[in-house]
Amino acid sequence: MNSKDKPDSALVIGAGIAGIKAALELAELGHRVYLCDRKTHIGGTLLQLDRWFPDDHCGMCKVLPIFSRDRSSQYCLRRGLVHHNIEILSATEITGVEGEAGNFAVSTATRSSGIHPDLCIGCGKCSEVCPVEVDEEFNQGLGKRKAAYLANPTALAKTYTIDAQHCTRCRACEEVCPTKAINLDMQTSENTLSVGAIILSTGFDEFDAQAASQYGYKRFPNVITSLELERLLSGSGPTRGSLLRPSDDKEPQSVAFLQCVGSRSLERNYCSSACCMYALKEAIMIKEKYPGTDVCIYFMDLRTAGKGYYRYFEKARDELGIRFVRCRVPRVMQNFKTHDVIFSALGEDGQPIQQQCDLIVLSVGQTPSAQFVQVSEMLGLQRNRWEFCRTRAFSSVESLRDGIFVCGSAAAPKDIADTLTEASAAAGNASLLLAAPGDMQGDDQQSGEQAEDMKAAVFICTCGEEITRALDTKELVSFSGQLAGVIHAGEVSHLCLPETLAQVQTKIRDMGATHVIAAGCSALTGQKLFGNLPLEIVNIREGLAWVHQDNRSAATRKARKLISMALARLRYARPSRTVQSSIVSAKGLVIGGGASGLSAALRIAEHGHQVELVERSGEVGGKLRSIHSTLEGEDSRALLDDLLKRVSENPLITVHTETVVEHISGHAGAFYAKLQGSDSEPYELDAGAVVIATGADEGTTTQYLYGQNERIITQTELEERLAAGQMDPQQLNSLVMIQCVGSMEAERPYCSRVCCAQALKNALQLKERNPDIQIYILYRELMSYGFMEEYYTRAREQGIVFIRYEPDKKPVVEAAEEKLSVSVNDPVLGGAFSLSPDLLVLSTGVVPADNSVLAGMLDIDVTEDGFFKEAEVKFRPVDVIKDGIFVCGLAHSPRNIQEALVQAQAAAERASLILSRGSLVSGQSVSEVNETWCSGCELCVQACPYGARVKDADKGVALVVEALCQGCGACVSACPNKAAKLRQFTDRQILAALDEAL
Amino acid sequence: MADDNKDFEPILVGFFCNWCTSTAADLAGTTRLQYPPNIRPIRTMCSGSVDPIYILRALLSGADGIIIGGCNPGDCHYVSGNYKARRRIAGLKTILDTLGLENDRVWLKWISAAEGQKFAVTMRDFTEKIKELGPSPFRKNWSV
Amino acid sequence: MPRNAMLEVKGGDITGTVRGFLEKLLEKKAVDALLVPVEVPSKKNVVQTMVTDIAQLADVSPLAPVMPVNTAKIISSVTKVAASTKKVGVILRSCELRALVEMVKLKQADMNNIVTIGIDCFGTYSVTDYAVFSQEHDTPAGEYLKKAASGTDTLLRPACKICQYPYPLTADMTIGLFGLPIEKEILVHSGTKEGDQVFEALGLDGEADPAKRDEALSALKSERQKLKEEFLAQVQQEAGGLDNMLSVLSACVACHNCRIACPICYCRECLLDSPTFVEWEAEKYLDWASRKGALRLPADSLLFHLVRMNHMGASCVACGLCEDACPNSIAVYKLFCLAGSRVQETFEYTPGRSADDELPLTAFKEEEFKGFEK
Repeated sequence: MNSKDKPDSALVIGAGIAGIKAALELAELGHRVYLCDRKTHIGGTLLQLDRWFPDDHCGMCKVLPIFSRDRSSQYCLRRGLVHHNIEILSATEITGVEGEAGNFAVSTATRSSGIHPDLCIGCGKCSEVCPVEVDEEFNQGLGKRKAAYLANPTALAKTYTIDAQHCTRCRACEEVCPTKAINLDMQTSENTLSVGAIILSTGFDEFDAQAASQYGYKRFPNVITSLELERLLSGSGPTRGSLLRPSDDKEPQSVAFLQCVGSRSLERNYCSSACCMYALKEAIMIKEKYPGTDVCIYFMDLRTAGKGYYRYFEKARDELGIRFVRCRVPRVMQNFKTHDVIFSALGEDGQPIQQQCDLIVLSVGQTPSAQFVQVSEMLGLQRNRWEFCRTRAFSSVESLRDGIFVCGSAAAPKDIADTLTEASAAAGNASLLLAAPGDMQGDDQQSGEQAEDMKAAVFICTCGEEITRALDTKELVSFSGQLAGVIHAGEVSHLCLPETLAQVQTKIRDMGATHVIAAGCSALTGQKLFGNLPLEIVNIREGLAWVHQDNRSAATRKARKLISMALARLRYARPSRTVQSSIVSAKGLVIGGGASGLSAALRIAEHGHQVELVERSGEVGGKLRSIHSTLEGEDSRALLDDLLKRVSENPLITVHTETVVEHISGHAGAFYAKLQGSDSEPYELDAGAVVIATGADEGTTTQYLYGQNERIITQTELEERLAAGQMDPQQLNSLVMIQCVGSMEAERPYCSRVCCAQALKNALQLKERNPDIQIYILYRELMSYGFMEEYYTRAREQGIVFIRYEPDKKPVVEAAEEKLSVSVNDPVLGGAFSLSPDLLVLSTGVVPADNSVLAGMLDIDVTEDGFFKEAEVKFRPVDVIKDGIFVCGLAHSPRNIQEALVQAQAAAERASLILSRGSLVSGQSVSEVNETWCSGCELCVQACPYGARVKDADKGVALVVEALCQGCGACVSACPNKAAKLRQFTDRQILAALDEAL
Repeated sequence: MADDNKDFEPILVGFFCNWCTSTAADLAGTTRLQYPPNIRPIRTMCSGSVDPIYILRALLSGADGIIIGGCNPGDCHYVSGNYKARRRIAGLKTILDTLGLENDRVWLKWISAAEGQKFAVTMRDFTEKIKELGPSPFRKNWSV
Repeated sequence: MPRNAMLEVKGGDITGTVRGFLEKLLEKKAVDALLVPVEVPSKKNVVQTMVTDIAQLADVSPLAPVMPVNTAKIISSVTKVAASTKKVGVILRSCELRALVEMVKLKQADMNNIVTIGIDCFGTYSVTDYAVFSQEHDTPAGEYLKKAASGTDTLLRPACKICQYPYPLTADMTIGLFGLPIEKEILVHSGTKEGDQVFEALGLDGEADPAKRDEALSALKSERQKLKEEFLAQVQQEAGGLDNMLSVLSACVACHNCRIACPICYCRECLLDSPTFVEWEAEKYLDWASRKGALRLPADSLLFHLVRMNHMGASCVACGLCEDACPNSIAVYKLFCLAGSRVQETFEYTPGRSADDELPLTAFKEEEFKGFEK
C-alpha cells in the first residue's frame, strides 16, 4: 500500500472554506497539500460575509487545528493561512490531468498577477496612480477599484494584483513601484504536480439575477442581491456597515426579500438549500441594526430543515417582528421618480399582493461554478442535468472517477456546515489513496536554554517611505539603541523582502543576538522569521504609520513606546522549552451501530486503527434496516448488506452488541471506557477518540387518533408494509398523509428534515403501483431541498394533491365505523373541505434518544432539542467542544442516510487525525500551574472551555492537560493569585509592557 | 474645564484580542482610516484573559483610559472568553463606580474582524471622551 | 419538612440550656465531635474548640458575643486536605455559615460529615471589647443577652449593627432566639435531613410553632435593610472619590492582616505578596517613582485593596473581621461592605444563600450586562 513511488500529496482545487478545511485535514494527517485557487487569494465567498445563521456568529477561525497549533497560523482566516504542510497556489488554473487514482500528474498554469508577491510591500502606490476604474468584486460592484488593486483587504500580506483584463498597460504603476515588483508582461508559468488524489471544492456561482428579467435587477437601482446586501451591512463594505440604498444613499424604511430567485424554476428545478436561511439571517441583521425598518420575506416554502433553523425562524418572526408572506409569480417594478420599488405577486389565495418598498433583496440561488464545469471536463467527471457533479450512490463526496472527490457546492447547493462536513469526509477519502506521510510530528522541539543576559537586536523597517513619511525612524533607531539590553538597532528598507530578511538573519547570527524586535508591517506577523529566537513584532505600519499620518511627533513617540513595550515583553519572557505531548491510544471507540456508526468504524479501520463498536440492541444496522429505498431510487438494502459485510470482515473492528457504555472518562488521546454486555463481564478499554453515533427514534404521537384506529399509521409503518407486501396499493382508493406531526411545534420546535422526502418517496411509489390512487399530502412547508425539488414537481404532475395547513388550523381527523374523515382548511381555495381516505399516514418525525446519560458521562452538552451539541455549528460541525469526541448521524440532528454517512466519514476522519498521531502536541503558549501557590479552588477548571484543566485530587492542586490547552488564558484571569500562568503572556510580561506604555 | 483640556493628550491602553479586534485594527490600517495616536495596544490572545488586575494597575499607574477589545458575543475563538470578560468587567466597573474611582475610564468593546471602521471610530470616540474627562486623578497621585 | 422543638430554659440560664443540648448530641452519639466556642480559663476570650469529651463542654459559651476567628476558616483548615470521616457538629453564626457556603463553592472546605448548627446572633463585640466586658460581669453571655433584648448594646461591632442575616440561612439545625421569651424557652429548628436525624437521635418532637420567631425576623429584616442603606450611603459619601479613599486608607501599612482575617480570601499566598508584584529590579522602582515624581512604599497599597475587593467582593459576607484585624483601625469593613454589596447587586447574588447558586465569575449568559459594554 505504502509504496515509495506513490505520492503522499494531494491537490485541492478551490480555496474557499471547503478547500481550506479539506487541505487542513490532509495537512494535519501529515500529507503535503497543494491548495490552488484561480483567484489571487484564499477564502472564497466567506471573505465577503460577516456572520452566519443560525447563531449569527463568525467562527471561521475555529477550523484551525486544535493540536500542534504552532504548525499553522493562529489568526483570523480572513488574514490568510499558513501551514507547514500546505502550499498555496494562487492565481492558478488546472490545465490537464493524467494518471489515475493514487498517482495523478496535474499540470497547472499560474498566471502572473503582474506584481511579484515576494517584492510587493503592499504600499498601494500602483493603485493610487492607476487610471483604470472598474467595479470592485469584493464589494459586489458596489464600490470601485483600480486595475492595480488589493483583492482582499483583510489579508496580512497586502499583495496587490494587476487585473490583466482591464489594465491598459499605461505602465504608470511600474514607474511608481518602490520595489520594482511590477512586471506587466504577465507570463503564465506552468508546472506539473504529482498527487495521489484530487479534491474539488470549487464552490458555486451566484445565480445571475439579470437572467430573470421580472425582478428588474440592474435595471432598478434599489433591487440588489443578497450578497450585495451582505456587503452593505458589512463593516468592511462600501458603506462601512450602514444600510444605504443605492439610488440615494438613504436608509431604507422598508425592505422586501424575494426568495427562490434562480431556484425552483423550470430552468433550475432545484432548491438552493441555503437561501431561506441566509435571507432570515440578513433580515435579522437589518432588524437588529434598524429596528424600525419594516422587513418582509416573500417566499413559497420556508425551508428551515436544519439543526436549530426552525427556532431561528421563530426568533425572526416572534422576537424581531419580521413579516413572512407566501406568494408566487413575483414581479418588480419601480417608481422612476423616487426609485422606490413596487413588488407584486399572487398571494397563496390567488389574490394579488402589492407592496411598495425602499429596497428589494433578491435571494439568489447557487448555480454550478463555471470553474467546476471546466475542470470537470478536463477530469472527465460526469455532471447531472443541472451541471453539478454526479456522485456515487450514498456518497456526496465521491465523484464517479476514482481518486477524485468533491465537497461543498460542487455536487449540490449547500450551506457551510454541510460543506465543511463534506470537506472532512473528502479529505479522509483522499488520504486513503496517498502514501503514508513521512513526517507526522514536525513540531518544533525547542530547547529550554536561554541566555542569561538579553542581547536584543532591533530592526526598524522604513518600508520605503511608507513608514518614514509618518514617523522618524532615524530617531527611533537611536532611541532603541540606548535601551538596556539592546546590542543593535538599525534601519532596514524592506524587511519583508527575502533578500533583506536573509541579510538581517546573517547579521543577527554574527552579532550573537539572543532576542529580536522587528518593527514593520503586519505581513511579518506569525512568521518564523529568525528561527527559534524569541521575537516580538511591532506593527508600525498598519498599526501606526498608516493610521496616524498627520502627527509625526506623536507617531514617533508612540513608536518609541511600542518598542519599549516589546522589549519589556522579551525581557520577562520565560525560556521556551520542549513542548509537552501526551501519548495517544491508537484505538477508536464508536458508540452506536447504525449506518453512521458502522460507516465511521469502517473508515477508522481503513485508516489502520483498531475500532471497538458498541451497540445497545441485539444487531447492528439501526434505522437503515427500516429504510427500503430512497427517494432517488438507490438500493438501501444493498448498502446495508455491504456495510455489514465489510464490518464483519474487517479484522480491526470488534462489534459488541447488546452492550452499553457503563462508564467513560478521559480526554483526547486517552479515554477510558467500561462496557457492559447483557450477559458478560464488564469489558474495559482505552481509546484515543470517541465517535458518538447513537442515532434517534421515529417520533410517536397521540395526535390524529394515532393508535386508536388501524387505518392510521406512520410513514415508517407504511414503508414497512409496502416493502413486506403486507399492503396492496391496488386496494387503496385514497390516502392522506399529514406532515409535521409533532415537528415544528412547541414540543419539538425543529424540522425533522427527512419526513417530506419520505412522504414523497412513499407517495410516488404508491402512485407507480396504482396510478388511480388519490393521494393528499397535508403539509406545512415542503422541505424538498436540493435536488429533491424535482420529485416534488413529479409528484404534483402525477396528481398528488398538496394542501398546506397552518399550525393553528390543523387537520381534524374523525373515525366512524369503516371510514376515516379528515377535514382541512385549504388556504388556496380558501375553505374547509373534507377527505375520506382509506388510510391516514402520519409523518411523526425524528426524536432524539435519551442522550443525557452519555452526555453526562462525557461531560458534554446536548442542544435544547436534545441532540448532541457540536463545538461550532458551522465550522466544527462534527466535533464536540471536548476534544477527541465526535458526533454523527441522527445523534447530531435529523438527516437522511446519505447525509448521515458523509457525516460519519467526517467524524471518523476527525477521530483518525488523533489516532494517527503517536502523541498529541501542544503549542508553545499553554498555561501552567505554580503548585506551591495553587489553592485548588478549581476556578480555572470551571473557566477552561476545553477541559484542559483538572484537579489533582492527591495534591489538591490544578493540573494542565497541555495537549488540550489552546492557550486562551481564561484560567489565568480566573485564578486570583496567578498560580495559573500563560506562557508567552505571563503577568510579568504584561505588567512590564504596561509600565512601558504609560 | 474643556479649555484646560485642549492640549491634554491622554495616555490610553488597549488590550486587544488576537483574533477579531487585532484583525480589525489591521484592516483600519490597510484602509488608512485615521485615528488619534494616543492608544497603546497590548495584544492578548483573548479578551477573557484580561485580568482586572491589569486594568487596575494601568489605572492606578496613571493611564487615562483603558479599553478592552474582543470578539462579538458568540464569535470568541475560545468559545466563551468574551462572555467571561464581560462579567469580570461588570464586577470591576461596579467597584470603581461605587467608590467613585473613574469607572468611565474603562471601556469594553466588541470589534469583529471585518470592522476596521468600527475600530477607528472607537479609538476616536475613546480618545475624545477621555479628553473630555481630563487627566486621570491617579496620574499625579504618588500616594496610591 | 422543617421540624421545630422548644427547649425549656431553666432558671434563665440560656447558656446552660444550649450546653445541655450540646452534651446530649455527644451523649446520644448524634455527632462524634463538636466544634464550639469555649471560654478560655482567663474568661477574657471565647475560642473555637474541637471537643470530643463531654466533660470539656463545661465552659462552652456559644452565646458569648465574641468571634475571634470566622469559623468557616477553621472548618476549611480541618477539612480541606481530607474530609472528616466522623460526624462533627459545628456551631456557626450566620456570617460564619454563609462564609462556609462560599468556601465550599471555592473548594476550600468539605461538608462531608459536617453537621451545621446555626445560631441566632444578636451581634458580637471586638475581641478587645469583650476582654474588658468579660471581666466586668460574672456571666458575660447572660448579661449580653439582656442588653441585646433591649436593643441598646453600644459595644456591638459596626458590622453586626447592620447585619442583614443575623439568622442562619442554610444550617442543618438552628438554635433560634429572636422573638422568643429566651428566659423561658429557646427554639431548635431542623432544616435538613441531617438535622432531622439529630432530632430523632435526641428524641425531640418537632411540632413546636416557630411563628413568633418568624414574625420577629421579618420585622428585624426590614429594619436592618433600612439601616444598611443609610450606612452605605454615608460610607459612599465619606469614602467615595480618590482623595477620600486615600484618606481612609492613609494608615495602611500593607500588613495584609485584613486578608488573613477574611474568611473568603483563601489564597495560600496573596498575589500582592507575590514576586510579580514585589520582586522587581531597583531600576523599576526608580522608573515608577519618576513617572509621578514620587512613589509611596510599600507600593500598591490601594491596588491591594481594590484587587482584594475584586476577588472576594461577590462572596463577601460582611462579617467585618477585616476591620477588627487592622492594626491601625482603618475602616476596611465599611469600604468592603459597600463595594461588596454593590457587586452582589450587579450579579444578583447573595453569598451564602445556597450552595446551588453559581459563583458570579464562573457563570455567564449570552445576553447580559450589555450596559457594561461601552
